[in-house]
Amino acid sequence: MRRRACEVLALALVLLAGLPHPGETQVIERELRDKVASKITIAIAGFAPFAMNGEDLGRLGASILTADLKFSTVFDVMDPATLPFEPKTVQSGQELPLLPGLNSLKVQYLVAATVSSRGHEAVLEGRLFDVASGNMLLGKRYVGETKFFRLIVHRLADDITQQLTGEKGVASTRIAYVTTVGRTAKEIYVMDYDGANPTPVTGNQSLNLSPRWSPDGRTIAYTSYRNGNPDLFVVNFDSGRRDVLSSQPGLNATPAWSPDGQWLALTMSSGGGTNLFLMPKGGGSTRPLTSGSAVSVSPSFSPNGRSLVFNSDRGGSPQIYLLDVDGSNLRRITFQGSYNTSPRWSPRGDKIVFMCQLAGNQICLINPDGSGLQRLTSLGANEDPCWSPDGRHIAFSSSRTGHRDLFVMHADGTEQTRLTNNGQDSYLPDWSP
Amino acid sequence: MRQLSTLPAVWMVLLVIASLTLVGCPKPPSIGQPGESAVTPGSGPAGSAATGPSGPSTGTEPSVSRPSVPAETPLGSAGGPGAGMGLGPGGSGGAGASSQGAGTSPLKDIYFDYDRFAILEDQKATLNQDAAWLKANPAVKVTIEGHCDERGATEYNLGLGERRARAVKEYLTAAGIAADRMTTISYGKERPLVLGHDENAWKWNRRVHFTLVAR
Repeated sequence: MRRRACEVLALALVLLAGLPHPGETQVIERELRDKVASKITIAIAGFAPFAMNGEDLGRLGASILTADLKFSTVFDVMDPATLPFEPKTVQSGQELPLLPGLNSLKVQYLVAATVSSRGHEAVLEGRLFDVASGNMLLGKRYVGETKFFRLIVHRLADDITQQLTGEKGVASTRIAYVTTVGRTAKEIYVMDYDGANPTPVTGNQSLNLSPRWSPDGRTIAYTSYRNGNPDLFVVNFDSGRRDVLSSQPGLNATPAWSPDGQWLALTMSSGGGTNLFLMPKGGGSTRPLTSGSAVSVSPSFSPNGRSLVFNSDRGGSPQIYLLDVDGSNLRRITFQGSYNTSPRWSPRGDKIVFMCQLAGNQICLINPDGSGLQRLTSLGANEDPCWSPDGRHIAFSSSRTGHRDLFVMHADGTEQTRLTNNGQDSYLPDWSP
Repeated sequence: MRQLSTLPAVWMVLLVIASLTLVGCPKPPSIGQPGESAVTPGSGPAGSAATGPSGPSTGTEPSVSRPSVPAETPLGSAGGPGAGMGLGPGGSGGAGASSQGAGTSPLKDIYFDYDRFAILEDQKATLNQDAAWLKANPAVKVTIEGHCDERGATEYNLGLGERRARAVKEYLTAAGIAADRMTTISYGKERPLVLGHDENAWKWNRRVHFTLVAR
């Protein structure tokens, strides 16, 4: 609160200062708004109790939408207790008279929603109002099976984010990961971005590692030992098909999709070294990206598709390197610490997140030019960082709870939140587009 | 920034004050102090953790599908509140292991230093015994498994385990064992022999293990 008050004061000073120069003031005001008053204040109303299959979907819907909007880092969601009306009693068509009261509380937007049913399906109607003008900015009805109710609410959250920020939200995204099943099996699962609905993708009771969503979100590439060798598989969620893409003797591991979805970079060890290769998305002839006897693993493409970041021990210890996709321009970017691994290029291209060993395994950020090293975690051993598609969040695994669990945090390291808590080890997350 | 030079002095002064105020704002709370992760007591090498075979599996893969997108209908646009009522029906809802134990062999495990794949001097006697047994049993083929301890990254350790397996294969090849009798596989840190979070466990997990290939 002190920080907020302090920033508001600073903003007020700039506004005051800018008065004689409206044009320049606007520029500075906008920059400061981005920086200071970046959160959008929103109130949630409606979601009257509605029982379906023994569950109050009204209450559930309100809690999901609240969590989604808060997680986005874009919204300040009003505490229902501070609203000048009882949120649950607000019905469709009764929103306009509420707006002046919200306006006086400096609430910028109101979302009002109702849940009903049609047959066995749940129906969610959401309306978004600009409090100041009274305009309805968004009105949509979502219909789907009750078991997909969480996704239905996530869709409303993402539509609100899209409407008010112009950016795609992440509430409807999912996270693929590896989890231990029984004593030795490691299977790939997929869950909602908030940890709900964990669903198996493999069930072969061997080792399954390194899931990677294709850019269209329809397939996941992964490595499986199901046939006795670490082979590269692709599973298609539309057709249910499961194909072996590469089964050379040795590693066919740590895949990365090119941003256009046409290529996979992967590590293979059939040639004598443990090197990176480029392979068409359907499999087939590969092109070497690295050579020699050193280990090259964990590639990740830059968003423009021109470069790769990867992990190699070619300098004697595992470090982070960049490489152009034609195999040229190899350069090392980490020089602090003797163990840096698991790099992932940010969706905006400006940062690389990786595992650093600075007082144990931690999550670090660095700029692609090697500047700006920053440590984000300090509790427990932390591994396997990956970005949310909007670049605002990082998922990772951490042993801070005793097990290896999945966590998410804001990209600045704040708000570290546990996602899995099932008594099993969960790791190697990959966030869907 | 060029525009700034045209501003009156008073503006500049206020801007500087504002900037200083911003810089002086307290940072968000930091994320806490480093802590220790829980440690469970390790068992000795005799208390082997890896038991199940990990060869070709018998399990069946689950069928996968995407939760389909809920049907979405715009709720009246022009109107305002209430305009969405009485809309036509929306679309119908969418669906909207290490083989340790399995191929027990007389071949003994070879151990390594942390993040290293070089054959240690004190391991060469064991490896020479392994080579002698392989020479005495020329019909036997083996799989050389490379393993790592739990420190370090899962994916990097796949590469490190591969290098350990390959280093042993090269040593045995130089000792006269035919290369086509030996295949390598890396399990990274995914198949620890001993559970535990200290050197007492780690030293047993940084290993190459041999399994005999059934013929």
